[in-house]
Amino acid sequence: MQIVKEALAGTLESSDLLVKVAPAADGRLELVIESEVMRQFGAQIRRVVAETLERLGVTAGLVVVEDKGALDCAIRARVQTAVLRGAGQVQIDWSRLS
Amino acid sequence: MSDDIEFYAIDPREAPQERAEVRELLAQCDLDLEEGIETFVVGRHGRRLVACAGLDHNIVKCVATAPDWRGSSLSLTLMSEIVHLALERGHLHLFLYTRPRNVEFFAGCGFHALAEVPGHVSLMENTPVGISGYCRRLAAERRPGQRIGCIVMNANPFTRGHEYLVRLAAAQCDWLHLFVVREDVSQFSYRDRFALVHKGVAGVPRLTLHHGSEYMVSRASFPDYFFKEKGIVGDCCTAIDLLLFRDYIAPALGVTHRFVGTEPFCATTRKYNADMQYWLQQAPSAAPPVAVVEVPRTSCEGVPISASEVRRLLRAGHPGRIASLVPPDTLQLLNDKYSPVFRRERPEVSA
Repeated sequence: MQIVKEALAGTLESSDLLVKVAPAADGRLELVIESEVMRQFGAQIRRVVAETLERLGVTAGLVVVEDKGALDCAIRARVQTAVLRGAGQVQIDWSRLS
Repeated sequence: MSDDIEFYAIDPREAPQERAEVRELLAQCDLDLEEGIETFVVGRHGRRLVACAGLDHNIVKCVATAPDWRGSSLSLTLMSEIVHLALERGHLHLFLYTRPRNVEFFAGCGFHALAEVPGHVSLMENTPVGISGYCRRLAAERRPGQRIGCIVMNANPFTRGHEYLVRLAAAQCDWLHLFVVREDVSQFSYRDRFALVHKGVAGVPRLTLHHGSEYMVSRASFPDYFFKEKGIVGDCCTAIDLLLFRDYIAPALGVTHRFVGTEPFCATTRKYNADMQYWLQQAPSAAPPVAVVEVPRTSCEGVPISASEVRRLLRAGHPGRIASLVPPDTLQLLNDKYSPVFRRERPEVSA
């Protein structure tokens, strides 16, 4: 799946996260993560985001995550939504996302 | 607590009643209602307006929460709302002006501090990889040398004066970086201005021509520049733009000198030049000072050459007098594209 336009999902509320995606400037996948619980869970958040992107087949783009202490399921849902919005395609293979 | 708040967007120019309520809320928070804000997100608790945030293109301004509602999650929800609304309008990359004491709050909303005039104003952007990514790309254009010059020009339009300044600066430097202001709100389009500069500096050795960016003389970095016809520029407006240059752009390229022409006509540009001396050379900063070289303008028949003078002559319907002030490419563009507009608008001079 390719990110062809800028998109956003989520909020800045406590226990949620805001995910921004944009097309890659240089064909690379760049992942920027900011979290209020970076020290305790930074590695885990990065792993969940990277896995979700991999399942969606995203190999290039800029993904910025502003985490406010969200659970893994919320992180997956927000990343999926942002990517689907940014992909500009509506055919969704739900089995790949579960 | 903020669940019972209803958020929605208004156009302040079309909702005078709500505009008055917004003005009142801003006044309670020591803020003025700024012109140029096309949308406000407002939050209402019952009948009472308790929060507002304004959007002027990609700049968030006039953010206020009623004093008795602070400390709840209301402000965060408000910021989420404005960020989503901005994206709907096509703006993912946002800038925000605020008081330095509020920087910490907005940092919690995903904004990152760019520059601060202590005690007055801070500029933030809503991405952790905005200016750092830009500087990384600029650094790839670094050239070796002791004396690295830089010029930032609007070239609205490109004149013999610009040509003179570029050649003089290039001759005095080991390398010259030339930027064309990118914001497309001047009389001449960015595309036309860039093309004229490109032709005008062709053949000048040891020079790199760059596209401008939002971080230099843009609506975000220097909001009042583009409205200079309306009056004088406040102190802080030039400072933010100049601090961005000194703290980020100059170090990325290794710029040691910034060249600028003296400005006999335009008060805004003259003030910008004067402020440049302070913010680039004297103001406390972690970045090294950048020497400002103000070059006396070249003249034609005793009159200093300036783009604002060319525009004045164009407006006044004196295309003939422009020929000696601009290079042939600019003259041709004026004749082909811009002069006829004025003649059409001013039928009395078309005869």
